[in-house]
Amino acid sequence: MSDGLHPAVVSAQPSQRDEKNPDAPLFEGEYQDRLEKILSRYPFKRAALLPVLNMAQQVRGWISPDTIKRVAEILELSPAYVRSVASFYTMFQLRPAGKYLIQVCTGIGCDLCGAEDVVEGLLKATGTRIGETSADGKYTVVEVECLAGCGFPTMVQINDRMYENVKAEDVEGLLKELD
Amino acid sequence: MNDEKKLLNVTIDGVELEVPAGTTILAAAERVGAVIPRYCYHPGLSAPAVCRMCLVEVEGAPKPLASCVQPVQDDMVVHTNTAQARKARRAAVEFLLMNHPLDCPICDAAGQCELQDYAFETGQLKTRYVEPKLVMGRDKVTPEIVYFADRCILCTRCVRFMDEIAKDPVLVVINRGQRGYIDTMTGELFENPFSINIVDVCPVGALVNEDFLFKARAWDLDQTASICPGCSQGCNVSLGTKEERIVRAKPRFNPEVNSYWMCDHGRKTVINWGAGARIEVPMARDGDELKPVDWPQALDALSEAIGNEPGRARAIVSAGASNESLFTLRRLMEELGSDGGVFRVPTGPEAELPGFPKLKLRRDRVPNAKGAELLGFQRSDAVFDSAQGHRGALFVLEDTLEGAPDGFGTNAELFVYIGTRLNPAARSADIVLPSTTFAEMAGTFTNFEGRVQRFEQALRGPGLARPWWLTGSALLERLGAGGRYRTAAEVFAALASEVSEYEGLNYEVLGLKGAGAPGSSAAATAG
Ligand code: SF4
Ligand code: SF4
Ligand code: FES
Ligand code: FES
Repeated sequence: MSDGLHPAVVSAQPSQRDEKNPDAPLFEGEYQDRLEKILSRYPFKRAALLPVLNMAQQVRGWISPDTIKRVAEILELSPAYVRSVASFYTMFQLRPAGKYLIQVCTGIGCDLCGAEDVVEGLLKATGTRIGETSADGKYTVVEVECLAGCGFPTMVQINDRMYENVKAEDVEGLLKELD
Repeated sequence: MNDEKKLLNVTIDGVELEVPAGTTILAAAERVGAVIPRYCYHPGLSAPAVCRMCLVEVEGAPKPLASCVQPVQDDMVVHTNTAQARKARRAAVEFLLMNHPLDCPICDAAGQCELQDYAFETGQLKTRYVEPKLVMGRDKVTPEIVYFADRCILCTRCVRFMDEIAKDPVLVVINRGQRGYIDTMTGELFENPFSINIVDVCPVGALVNEDFLFKARAWDLDQTASICPGCSQGCNVSLGTKEERIVRAKPRFNPEVNSYWMCDHGRKTVINWGAGARIEVPMARDGDELKPVDWPQALDALSEAIGNEPGRARAIVSAGASNESLFTLRRLMEELGSDGGVFRVPTGPEAELPGFPKLKLRRDRVPNAKGAELLGFQRSDAVFDSAQGHRGALFVLEDTLEGAPDGFGTNAELFVYIGTRLNPAARSADIVLPSTTFAEMAGTFTNFEGRVQRFEQALRGPGLARPWWLTGSALLERLGAGGRYRTAAEVFAALASEVSEYEGLNYEVLGLKGAGAPGSSAAATAG
C-alpha cells in the first residue's frame, strides 16, 4: 500500500457492506451449524450473546431491530436487553452504514496524536457528519474508542481492514485507494 | 438457617452494634443513624453497586468499599464519614456532574433530589471539568412519563424496577459511558399499569410524570399520610398538596400492603377524586326549590323532619365513604328503624405487581367495600331498585346517583342527600348536606382483606362542607340518641365497641400503617 498506509490486519472474511443483504436469512445452513457450535461452548444461552450478534452482523451487515428480535428469541432474552448489549459495543452497527464504514479511533492515544484532524478531514472529504451516510451511499464515518493499535496512531478501520499512522493529509489518498 | 441467625459485631462511626450475618454495611449503618449516600441502591430493588456513591472506609481494607453490597464481617470497623470516604464520594459526584445540566431551577426533582443533596453535602461546589457538556435532550418513555437524558445518572433503578418488580423488562441502558441513556427496545413508548413507580425510584429529575411537570416545587408541598381510594387494596400514600389542591400522590412504605409501590390508576384517582363543581352549602327544600341554608337551619329542618316520623329508613351509600361516616349513618337509621342499606361497586380489570404480588390493582375500584359490608350494608348491582319505590326515609350517602332512574326518591317521605356533587337526581332531595372527600377529613377504610387503615386530613373542604360523621353525630345528639363525637377517633372507638370485627382497635393501635381486625385474614400480619 502506498502513501505510508499499511494494511495491518486483513480479515479472513472481507465484509463490504453492500454485499450484505440486510434481510438475509439468519441462522440457516452453515450459520445454523455455527450457531449450534457457539451455543455448545457456553454454560447458558445468555453467555452466547456476543458471538451470536457478531455472526448476525456478518450475515446481514448490521444489527437491525429485526435481527435483535431474532437473537432475543433464540437466546431467550428480552429484545431490549439485546439492544442494550449491542449498543454497548461500538463494533456492532445499529444503523445501516454506507459501502465503506470508516471507524476512526478517538481513544486517548490517537486523540493526542491528531485523531480529531483525521475525523475532520474524513468528514470534509466525504461530505457527511458523524454517523451519517454520504448521499451516494458510499461512506459512513464514525468515532470509536481504541482499536488496539495505540502504537500506530491514528488508527482507522475501514470495513474489516485496519490502517495505521493515518494523518489528516492521508485522507484523500486513503479514500481513493478504496475505489 | 443457623448461619443466618448468627450475630456479628460491627463498629460503625464508633458505635458498636450486633447485626445478623448477611446485613450490608449500609443497612447496619442505618441502624445507628448514619445514612450513607446512595444512588443505585434502593431498598425495594437489588443492588448492582454501579454508582460508587456509598463508599465507606473499612479498617484493614485496602480501598473504600461499596457499603450497599458489602456484608458486615465480624469485628469490622467502619467509618462512614472520614476524609478518605468523603474524598471517594466527592469524586463520584464530580463524575456524575460532568455532563449534568444543573438545571435545578426548572427541574421537577429540585428539593427532593439526591444528586442535589449529596453534591451539596460533599461540598465540591465547582467542577474542574471545562469541556463543553454533552447534550442529549429528552423523550417520552410512556405516554405520561418524560425522560430527561441529560439529568440521568444511569443508576439503573428504573431499569431494575421494570425488570424485577414489574417483571416487564422494557427499559435498558443504551450505549455506554457518558453517551449512555435509558430507552426501550426501539424507542417506542411502553405501557404498564405500574409504570409511574419509575418516577418515584429515580433519585434525580430524569424521569418525571407529566401530570406533575412544572406544577409545583417539591418544597412547597404539604405531605399528608393517606390511603389511596382507587381500589380495595388500600395502598398507603402520601398526598402532596398545594393551595388546597392535591397535586400528586406518592406511595408510602407499608410492607403489608404496597411496599414502596402503587399503581398508575390509583395516582390518577387520587388527583381526580372530588374534582368538579362541589356542593358547598347545606340546602333545604322550600316548595319546588332547594334553598341554601346554614348548618343550624339544616339540622333544624332535618330533626324536625325526623320528628315527623317519616317511616323506616333505607339508604344507598358509597363504598368510598369512611367507616366513621357509614357508622354514623347506620346509627341514625337505627333511630328511625332501619330497612337496610345498599352500595354499588364499580369494577375493572385486576392487575398484579408480579415482584410484590401482595399488591394488586383490585377489581373493586372503591376503597371501602369491605368496611361497608362489615357495617351491615349490602353490595348490590341494582342499588336503585330497593330505594326507588321506598315510602319512608331515604338517605343517600356520597353515592353520586349517576344512572338513577327518573323520579328517583320522589316517593320517599323524606329524601336526604349527603354528598359532594349535586347530580340531577339529587335535586329532588328534601335536604342536601355537603360532605367532604377522603382527603378533606380524617377517617378509616377497611381494605379487601379486612385491614383497617387511617387517613389524615390533607385539605379543607369547600365552603361549608363537613364530614358526614360530624353532621350526623350532631343530629344524633339532638335526637337524644347518643353523645356527640368531636373527632373521627371517637367515632371509631364507638364503632369498635359495637362491631365485633373491629374489637380492640382504636386510632392509636391503627397508627399510620393500619392493622387487621381480629378474626380477619389481616389480623396475623397486623403491625
Ligand atoms: S432515569 Fe433515573 S432511575 Fe433511571 S437510570 Fe437514570 S437516574 Fe436512574
Ligand atoms: S392498587 Fe388500588 S389502592 Fe393501590 S394505588 Fe392502585 S388503585 Fe390505589
Ligand atoms: S487509542 Fe487509538 S488505537 Fe488505542
Ligand atoms: S449505592 Fe452502593 S454503589 Fe450505588
